Amino acid sequence: MTWAECSPAVTAASAPEEQLEISGEADIVAARQHAREAARALGFGAVDQSRITTAVSELTRNVVRYADGGRGRVSIRQLSGPRGVGLEVIVSDTGPGIADVEEAMRAGFTSGSGLGLGLPGTRRLMDEMDIDSAVGRGTTIRICKWRR
Amino acid sequence: MVAEFTNSQGELRGMIEEQRRTIVELQTPVIQVWDSILALPVVGSLDTARAQDMTEALLEKIVQTGSEIVLVDITGVPVVDTAVAKHLLDTVYAARLLGAEVLIVGVTSRVAMTLVHLGLDLGSVTTRTTLAKGLQFAFARLGIEVLPRSNGTSPHALNKLTT
Amino acid sequence: MARVPIVRVGATLIATVQDELCDSDVMLLQEELSATLERTGVHAVLLDLTTVQTVDSFLGRLLNDVAAEMRLLGAQTVIVGIQPAVAITLVELGLNLKGVTTALDVDKGMRLLQHSLRVYDLGRM
Repeated sequence: MTWAECSPAVTAASAPEEQLEISGEADIVAARQHAREAARALGFGAVDQSRITTAVSELTRNVVRYADGGRGRVSIRQLSGPRGVGLEVIVSDTGPGIADVEEAMRAGFTSGSGLGLGLPGTRRLMDEMDIDSAVGRGTTIRICKWRR
Repeated sequence: MVAEFTNSQGELRGMIEEQRRTIVELQTPVIQVWDSILALPVVGSLDTARAQDMTEALLEKIVQTGSEIVLVDITGVPVVDTAVAKHLLDTVYAARLLGAEVLIVGVTSRVAMTLVHLGLDLGSVTTRTTLAKGLQFAFARLGIEVLPRSNGTSPHALNKLTT
Repeated sequence: MARVPIVRVGATLIATVQDELCDSDVMLLQEELSATLERTGVHAVLLDLTTVQTVDSFLGRLLNDVAAEMRLLGAQTVIVGIQPAVAITLVELGLNLKGVTTALDVDKGMRLLQHSLRVYDLGRM
């Protein structure tokens, strides 16, 4: 699955970006805290902060659980465009990749057994979500939320 | 000069946010009808954004008042379809997490037929046809009884009573 | 590494869950609750989430599991203090903690437990 075009965004040069290395469980909490702080600074309300933080937590945990050595990267970036101001988070790893992205997007917590990747839930929390993943190629997931 | 501009931008943003909240509060008034009982009349169509605002306002009120029963009145909602039913369920579940029970009232036979036809079972959600019936249920749940006064005040004399 | 304090108040265990617990602390809490329950034989557990700002699927499922486990060990669980933002997020995630009893705060939670404990005692007579 390839990138889908999302809303146009200002180029990275003018948007400050935060990069976090993920190498273990403690980094899930760190990623959450950074995401929350970024969301708060952008003026997102408490509920949206919670949505963003939870989505980042889900994706970062997947990296720790499934990627090689639990290693990956989180990048947090402010966006501004026609839709106003937004927060973009990209979580990437060089792990095994997702064999069937569509299936992963269908499976939810309510479908019972197994932990799953929590992707449908994450999608519901955010405004945009793009998954670039293939077996042997690792996974990169981009999520973004626009401030109302 | 730039600092001034960004400051007033921040102020403007704050003002807009405050006005937005006021609009939300006006559109979805949460009324405390009794100790521990809230009523939320929904008038007009219920889209995702409105449902989210409504749920937020309701939860804030639950925290403020410690209310344990909420009566969501959908009499004024013209169309109750799958999306609306889902929004209502989401509100019910969220309020439950705060220890409050939500009743959906104003459920007409037309709405009931639609829900059944759509295969939507509101499951564990209590529903009633009117707000009054919902209130009766709430009182019973809270162990409250409404009784006439024992001094036998005649109803005709009511308009002569001073407060 | 943060440890969740578990305090015994009468026949109830109260655990005040802190914000930003890492996964191992969360699992440690689960173990400690079970161990303490077995050791003390209390019938009620109250989990206070008042200071928790983020509940993701991991913590959400754990709360469900703890409630189920406590039930098997003969105890009732009440979760209190879930913040509005957290409640809304949990529901959107698809985790509405159906098997869990919830109350607004510690006071209401304790009253709820005391009421059911009385019922439990009557049942035993």
